[in-house]
Amino acid sequence: MLEKMMKTRLFAWVDERTGAEAIIKSQLTEYPVPKNLNYMWNFGSLALLVLVLQILTGIFLAMYYKPSAALTMGGYTVAFDSVERIMRDVNFGWLIRYMHAVGASAFFVVVYMHIGRGLYYGSYKGPRELLWIIGVVILLIMQGAAFFGYLLPWGQMSFWGATVITNLFGALPVLGEYLQQLLRGGFAVGDPTLNRFFSLHYLFPLLLVAIVGGHVHALHVVHSNNPEGIDVHGDDQKINFHPYYTVKDAFGVGIFLTIYCYVIFFNPQMGGYFIEVDNYVPANNLQTPPHIAPVWYLTPWYTILRSFESKLLGVLMMGGSLAILFLLPFLDRSKVRSARYRPVFKQMVLLFFVCVIVLGYCGHSAPTPTLKLVGQIATAYYFLFFFALLILPKFEKTKPVPDHI
Amino acid sequence: MKLKQILMATTAAVSLLASGAVMANEGHGPALKHAEINVTDQTQIQRGLTVFTDVCMGCHSAKYITYKGLIDYPEIGITREQADELRGSHPLAAGMISDLNPEDAKVSYGKVPPDLSIITNARRGGANYVYSLLTGFEHDPSGKVTDGNFNEYFPGNRIAMPDPLSWLGHDASETEELEQQAEDVAAFLAFIADPHQNERRVIGCWVVGFLLLLTLVLWRLKVEVWKDVKH
Repeated sequence: MLEKMMKTRLFAWVDERTGAEAIIKSQLTEYPVPKNLNYMWNFGSLALLVLVLQILTGIFLAMYYKPSAALTMGGYTVAFDSVERIMRDVNFGWLIRYMHAVGASAFFVVVYMHIGRGLYYGSYKGPRELLWIIGVVILLIMQGAAFFGYLLPWGQMSFWGATVITNLFGALPVLGEYLQQLLRGGFAVGDPTLNRFFSLHYLFPLLLVAIVGGHVHALHVVHSNNPEGIDVHGDDQKINFHPYYTVKDAFGVGIFLTIYCYVIFFNPQMGGYFIEVDNYVPANNLQTPPHIAPVWYLTPWYTILRSFESKLLGVLMMGGSLAILFLLPFLDRSKVRSARYRPVFKQMVLLFFVCVIVLGYCGHSAPTPTLKLVGQIATAYYFLFFFALLILPKFEKTKPVPDHI
Repeated sequence: MKLKQILMATTAAVSLLASGAVMANEGHGPALKHAEINVTDQTQIQRGLTVFTDVCMGCHSAKYITYKGLIDYPEIGITREQADELRGSHPLAAGMISDLNPEDAKVSYGKVPPDLSIITNARRGGANYVYSLLTGFEHDPSGKVTDGNFNEYFPGNRIAMPDPLSWLGHDASETEELEQQAEDVAAFLAFIADPHQNERRVIGCWVVGFLLLLTLVLWRLKVEVWKDVKH
């Protein structure tokens, strides 16, 4: 079909003015991809899909949402009322809103799988260091966008979550207090905070689109890694992106949409994981909820924060736990990429995945002394993992790597 | 080795989910009682509406539900005449607002009664919590809390709401009826918390069904396109 379309006079006219044919060939129909990618390579296209869904649903939500903390009857606010209006009175508003709220969690599920795949198969190693680094920037902006977005319904967890997180900036020396007030637009989280968070929640996805463009461009320069983690030469080992990976990605999209829609239509709150119970209670600055926890996708970093007695140290370590991802390509100097051929690394990286899940669990639960200790041990391993990579190549006996796939 | 790792990861994931389920059910006291509710059952929801307007609305509002909504949502579906009777002098488009004003409530009960429009979403346990709470008024075993303010399902047990269904000390012959009233109002509240939920589930069956078929087709397409790729 694509070939037929490219033979039309209209396409020739466009091609003469844009070079469309060369782009389609180099990026799709003749873009070479290793033929042995497994289904873990589907999550990149899924992340792009969710980004588009979030932007589209977000545009429509913004047509009805009102960022105002002005009080209305019953202790609610204009913002909270506008969300309920979307849920009740706007035609299919409930669908758009649940798509957006579930989409936020889906985005992180997909992106964490994508990152985990990159870790396991060594996709961060040369020549893909910048590709990885751009990816970490995307993660940080996503987390920011999610955090800003969570304030908008102005529920109890919105309000207190934002209070706790903006408080963290106050712990930083010298500029801390200034930064905190700048973020809040005042001395406490309030109406000005809501307005600037709404603005930033609209800005960040635009940044994401630009940077995701850079991520895809960088990928198409250095090309995909593969499960064997070896450089692929020779035409018999590569296949064209279109049609092979377009249909494979489409199949992945089918599976993803089925699960995503199942959650939207049958379990949109996901037992309080995707939309927290306390966020159906209107924000009340005089009453702290019994247990403040961020949404699941931010809880691993919340545990790292809480693992240190000193607030400043906690903040620095939390920042460090994300910043260290930038350094990963330079910490790990092993010549072998894929965990398939690195027996020790394989154990380490699998334990790292478990460790992040444990961190997430600890951050979601009400703090107890046992959980705190578990969280501290997991935090220690989180950092140990990265620094152990520095010396790992000195004693790890890697398995022989195949020369073709 | 690989099997061991998969087992390890699965165990971790399952225990995580299980603990999540425990947390979702986590009360501050005894396990909640199960409420037999059906949010598609118009008769139950209408009975619940009656309990709501006769009892709850003495103090509580449900501002996101309008009198017009009571007519328009097919799950409630009362007649215009019934709505007119309920609303009195309030406009049809007004929310269901209690006549008790917040200042008086503060004087009488020490706090403003929460709006009940989305209460089943805003409390862990949802409708089960509402049902348990309404049928959970007891004598305080330690005798500190006055009768009518001790509730075994309320966090901390001391509740400002005085036993609305007169559960405490009720005659044994009334138990069934009071439980029924509590269940009915729980059903009504569960419905109004998300009034498009039934529509959502119906559409959801079609959407998920379609997507399953589409995924099946895409899978066969993928297999067909890939059959000439040798591994």
